[in-house]
Amino acid sequence: MRYFIRRALHAVFLLFGVSLLTFLFSALTPGNYFDEMRLNPQISPDTVAALRSQYQLDRPLPVRYAHWLNAVVHGQLGFSFTYNGPVAPLLWARARNTLLLTITATLLAWLVALPLGVWSAARFGRAPDRVLSWTTATLLVVPDLVLALGLLILAVRTGWFPTGGLVSVGFDELSVSHKLRDIALHMTLPVVSLVLATLPMLVRHVRASVADVLDAPFLRAAAGHGIPQRKLLYRYALRAAANPLISLFGFSVGTLLSGSLLVEVVMSWPGLGPLLLESILARDLYVVIGGVLLSMLFLVGGNLFADILLYLADPRIRTAASAK
Amino acid sequence: MQPLLRVENLVKLYAAGRSASSKDKLTALDGVSLSIPSGETLALVGESGSGKSTLALCIACLEPPTSGSVWFEGIDAAALGENQQCLLRPQIQLVFQDPASSLNPRWTALDIVSEPFLVQGRFTKPDRAVRALQLLDLVAIPRKMAARRADELSGGQKQRLAIARALALEPKLLILDEALSALDCSVQAQISNLLLDLQSSLGLTYLFITHDFAIAAHMADQIAVMYQGRIVESGPSEKILSSPNHEATRSLMAATPRFIETPGVLVHF
Amino acid sequence: MTQPRKFARWLIVLLMLHGIVAAAGFFAPYDPVEQDRERPYLPPMRVHLMDARGHLHLRPFFYPLRLRAGSFDQYEEDTATAVPLRFFERAAAYHLFGFVPSHLHLFGASGTRIYLLGTDTYGRDQLSRILYGGQVSLLAGLLGAGVTLFLGALIGMAAGYFGGWRDDLLMRIAELFLALPWLYLLFALRAFLPLAVSPLEAFLLVVIVIGMVGWARPARLVRGVVLSVKERDFVRAARGFGASDVYLLRRHILPETASVLLTQAAILVPQFVLAEMTLSFLGLGVPEPMSSWGNLLAALQQYNVLVSYWWMYLPALAIVPFFLGYLGLASALQQRTSPYKIEEKSSWSPS
Repeated sequence: MRYFIRRALHAVFLLFGVSLLTFLFSALTPGNYFDEMRLNPQISPDTVAALRSQYQLDRPLPVRYAHWLNAVVHGQLGFSFTYNGPVAPLLWARARNTLLLTITATLLAWLVALPLGVWSAARFGRAPDRVLSWTTATLLVVPDLVLALGLLILAVRTGWFPTGGLVSVGFDELSVSHKLRDIALHMTLPVVSLVLATLPMLVRHVRASVADVLDAPFLRAAAGHGIPQRKLLYRYALRAAANPLISLFGFSVGTLLSGSLLVEVVMSWPGLGPLLLESILARDLYVVIGGVLLSMLFLVGGNLFADILLYLADPRIRTAASAK
Repeated sequence: MQPLLRVENLVKLYAAGRSASSKDKLTALDGVSLSIPSGETLALVGESGSGKSTLALCIACLEPPTSGSVWFEGIDAAALGENQQCLLRPQIQLVFQDPASSLNPRWTALDIVSEPFLVQGRFTKPDRAVRALQLLDLVAIPRKMAARRADELSGGQKQRLAIARALALEPKLLILDEALSALDCSVQAQISNLLLDLQSSLGLTYLFITHDFAIAAHMADQIAVMYQGRIVESGPSEKILSSPNHEATRSLMAATPRFIETPGVLVHF
Repeated sequence: MTQPRKFARWLIVLLMLHGIVAAAGFFAPYDPVEQDRERPYLPPMRVHLMDARGHLHLRPFFYPLRLRAGSFDQYEEDTATAVPLRFFERAAAYHLFGFVPSHLHLFGASGTRIYLLGTDTYGRDQLSRILYGGQVSLLAGLLGAGVTLFLGALIGMAAGYFGGWRDDLLMRIAELFLALPWLYLLFALRAFLPLAVSPLEAFLLVVIVIGMVGWARPARLVRGVVLSVKERDFVRAARGFGASDVYLLRRHILPETASVLLTQAAILVPQFVLAEMTLSFLGLGVPEPMSSWGNLLAALQQYNVLVSYWWMYLPALAIVPFFLGYLGLASALQQRTSPYKIEEKSSWSPS
């Protein structure tokens, strides 16, 4: 239990840190946002005045931060000037799509990486392993941006997959199964792009961790007991190698978020990515802050999840935590 | 005549945990007192963990003692401010146990020996090189080794280099912290003889820290035995060697295999 | 292959690649901003050795492209006119490496223009734009890596050497930066800086922003080195001669960090080039008319370009050989320092 409290506190610290950083950035920028806003013909002067008083730009920095923090905790993430409405509902809708994409991609990537890595480690140094190593090395050399754009061009020229958006026109009229199929089709390209970006590193780490474990005496003893190869690999070796892999998972949540941002923009997937980008370009301050915070929430959530997994998987952590 | 070095009731506590206010404090030195007359050698004998190295660092002004005083030529070194301590430091030099760690392996022998001059800002560059070569002569390192990197030298040569470096600033007191312990027996003999020669020719005073009674017997005028942060026995070498009182002394003597004690006759090496 | 040889091999490859980009003026047939409004979106021209009648020629040649009859965006080769490819051609003036005036180009064609990689919407030669764009992107990556390593070394040394609460504070902040996704950090930093600036200012801004994102990992690594070197006896001995902190840091501790910093450099430079490409692609980086690999790709955001003009994708592939070179270099360096590890966990992830 202590362990979780510590990790949760750590997560809160992270969120605080990010909120502070983001707020500081926005507050320290040269020029007053509301000056710029006044120049913007889309926004009425009354709104500007109201917002000014609401956000108390004349007060000292710590007071503003406290006030803003208070608002955030109450779910009030501010006001979007481009969309002319509150930020929070805008973010939730997009966040859903991003989660859909990232969770699917993560699951898929790990589902593929684990067997591939284990299979490769079992044939360490031999031909199939080397072929796989070469493939992953080649994929690693191709950056996400290049990969995503390449896939997009492929899709466009072959016409096999829709390029952009969550759903097709006329979505609402489709039957449930067709709806699912439609979404799945739209999701394919972004998911494949994300998976291809994260897969090589995952496979390499799984392979390395399992290969490390395969040398261990306890495995050879188990083999001597006549335990079949597959069971040996998955139930014994993989379990032992789980610790660094779960840490890797926690670590990779951050990279996945970055990757998904890029993929969403390139593939026109209506998630947080494109929203963040357009708000930056439009200087829509509160959307940017809210978007960054929300993504940090996912990051922290992912890390916490990894911590829980680690706790469940590794008895050493349990005993260490309870010994404290 | 006052002794060159006089340590009075030196106490050093280390905080065991990460925070400075940790409740578990490690007592490295628990009220150590000793004195060395000028030109003599005091051997400080003790097992590992008895606090010998800590004492060396405190005397050399590299660690501030928690309490107590270190009198060097009548001046309380421990009480001096940082700037004045810097002026005092050249007079007290250290030679460490492991030359692989006490010499920067990437530097050449010449650079290592002339580093003290560089740090103190003395002499011009060519002058530094000349004096450095003279120091190499003093410790019998052939001049052609001057351009070699430290990690290319043998163990004995490295330790000679460390001694040469320590002598660069013409110190009065040389503290040798287990300086011979990492060397082979034959090399030990060479270097201990070198040290004795240097002592008589340069008029040095040695504080010789070791766990080996044989070396202490060979080198020292006086012996002090240290156990758990305290001096438990001290006096002239012959007296300690012939009739040790404290059981720590006796167990240390017994632990030195080359040291055979027979009544009246000491056979060692 | 022994480690020094591997390292040398990759270094040579990288130097050659950089050399080609640095000497862009020579390798590029035309000026990157020169427009050819008559011929927008020309597909890549093919170089032939055998002509339409089946005769083999010794000198490579190409057929100029003309509009297909009845179409306004389909091109075909005009097999009536064969234009020979000339090497070491004297053409438009440029400054090699920025200051040596020259007229010499690797290849060209007199009279008409050859577009080996096609043209863009203004008729600008893509090959030239890619070469010159590489200068901007690579420079951004190198400078950005320099900024990061400098920051990281400074902070790492301060944290490791002085210890105490300074160390704790700095490492906490480093943890924060390390945990955040790099692209978000990049965006956030860029977002809050002025958007409409001159190309040079934009470039500097990009470098600074990129540089400030990645300092945490080098700082941690440097700190580790400093912590271990700090306790070495030769540092104690130097202090015994009266050496100041600055002296110790400069002459003893800093040289020990060199190998760590070098390895980090090999890992960071390609990531930072990619970061510049990403920023410029999204419109947050280097603006027109300065070309960088990123803003060359920005054209792909238009649907019609994506569908019809596939050669606009080629700038994306330009970075791949560089990634390969740097990855090889980093791997060779890492094997030198830790030869027995199968995988260096922190080695290759864009974070």
